Amino acid sequence: MSGKTMVEKIMGRISGGNPVSAGDEVKVRPDFVMAYDFPGYTDVIFKTVKEKFGLTELPAKERFVIFIDHMVPAVDPKEEEFHEMTRSWCREFDIACVEREGIGHHVAGETGYGVPGAFAVHYDGHISQLGALGCLAVNMPRQTLTEAFVREYIDFQVPQTIRLNLVGKVQPGVMPRDLFHGIVQKLGNKFARFAVLELGGEVIDTLSLDGRQALTSISMFTGALSAVINPDQAMLDYALPIARLDIEPVTSDPDCRYAAVHTVDVSDIGVMVAQPPSPSRTTPLDEVSGLDVQVGYIGSCASGRIEDLRAAAKVLQGKQLAPGFSLHVVPTSKRVMTKAAEEGLLQVFSECGAFVSSASCDFCYGRIATMRDGQRAVSTGTLNVKGRMGSPDSEIFLVNAAVVARTAIDGRIPRSEDMMSEVQ
Amino acid sequence: MLDAKKGTLPKLEGRAAWKFEDEDYDIDQIIGVKNIRIQDLDELCSIAMKSYDPHFQSSIRVGDLLVGGENFGFGHPHSPPMKAMRHMGIGGVIAESFAPTYYRGETAMGFPQITCPGILSAVERWDVLRVVWSSSKVINVTQGTEIPFEMPTKTEQNLLIHGGHMNYLYEAVSNAAGLKD
Repeated sequence: MSGKTMVEKIMGRISGGNPVSAGDEVKVRPDFVMAYDFPGYTDVIFKTVKEKFGLTELPAKERFVIFIDHMVPAVDPKEEEFHEMTRSWCREFDIACVEREGIGHHVAGETGYGVPGAFAVHYDGHISQLGALGCLAVNMPRQTLTEAFVREYIDFQVPQTIRLNLVGKVQPGVMPRDLFHGIVQKLGNKFARFAVLELGGEVIDTLSLDGRQALTSISMFTGALSAVINPDQAMLDYALPIARLDIEPVTSDPDCRYAAVHTVDVSDIGVMVAQPPSPSRTTPLDEVSGLDVQVGYIGSCASGRIEDLRAAAKVLQGKQLAPGFSLHVVPTSKRVMTKAAEEGLLQVFSECGAFVSSASCDFCYGRIATMRDGQRAVSTGTLNVKGRMGSPDSEIFLVNAAVVARTAIDGRIPRSEDMMSEVQ
Repeated sequence: MLDAKKGTLPKLEGRAAWKFEDEDYDIDQIIGVKNIRIQDLDELCSIAMKSYDPHFQSSIRVGDLLVGGENFGFGHPHSPPMKAMRHMGIGGVIAESFAPTYYRGETAMGFPQITCPGILSAVERWDVLRVVWSSSKVINVTQGTEIPFEMPTKTEQNLLIHGGHMNYLYEAVSNAAGLKD
């Protein structure tokens, strides 16, 4: 009998304690049920729970948390009324409502929801970043998430696990976002379809939590349902003291059964870009070097963490933005912003002419700093589909934070070799 | 284990109203990104598929099907395009394979998505297709051919039988609470 993947172990624990295997259809009890308040989503769930199902309390309410991180700050009374409805609903049902702390997917990790060995559900796929801590966090269709609000157990098929080993030497100037874009270039945008991607190998071992979250947060662009990393001692040291749940961390057995095993040598991955209009259109940065750009964004749940800000500040130190260039720097959370202030990074951003904001999801999808027709952006956001940051006739190039910074100074996309000397 | 659910899977028989041959097809293109915030169903239907076939809406019969390629639904799919398709009477989508977010979202709506490797080359536009659940085969009635498809999971079948996750959940909860006969 073969061993179990960490996904199978987690599914086994939350489906009654018996061993399960990939492909089994089971009823599982999510350890955490998460959402951010957003029109057409949480309001519909709240209404359904209360009016259609007549509930006055949620099953095991300590499992629930609602983040207010979109439409922050509100720009009209309706948005603020929407947030107030969310607060009121959370008070009525006595569940956690978190706001002014930052982007929920990241804040969840900071505040003890990223428990190694836990299973969390959300309706947004970027929650997968809790996998950096060994927590399996999966996005569900809104209706399935509604089920998790209504009853403790939901139907779920134990996913297959695809193992991806990253080996070799990370090149100068290459950041975790480049590694991800390089993986997509090498293996395609659907190699992990419907599976959980388990990242490992010597390169992962060298990455901090920031880097691991950058990789796991956008795993959906491989087709994966989510991503996990077997938690090492550093991750356990971070996660366990703040864990909201007392469970045993799990790792995959050496003889577990993966649906596939891939090994990628990162030594030949250079500075990368995901060109518009798709996160799968990944190429070396040099394919777009020299393009005029007017907008830059450093932030998001994928790449606005302290390591991103440090890399950007190093490039921007003592420089000024290109004439007419708009650079928005949005630390992923309050804690990240506080840390950036302590390190003097915010001063660098301010002095170079950047617009610096407290954490919000809104820059990533064009609700703030909305782009007009014909504009071009470099961004560390999650996505570059048409219209993502404003006009459908604007363009978004997804790059690492240092490339955004360098572009902001030059007003055009740099060459890879420029970046190798910028970030060591 | 899952409870056995009574009911039948939806009847799927209709013409191939369109073949989306592109790999990684982004369904937002059905209405165009600039129209993605439109909610009015009649307005959406008047826009949908216009760039492919200006007479698409008037050509559709209730129960017609869409045929797609590899990884159909890739990108950042929004709900209005397929709301429009359902409103027009499209009964389901048969594709080589699907992108997970799209597939799971539409299945939760009770909109059948049939994974059928080889379908693209086995069908011409307007061929009559029939999905036979009992044998997991798509019959091309026009050409007299058949091709196997991958049965949805039991959970997914339940959602299709009940016409969507909300109906399924309501019935399950009502039954558990003894609210139904």
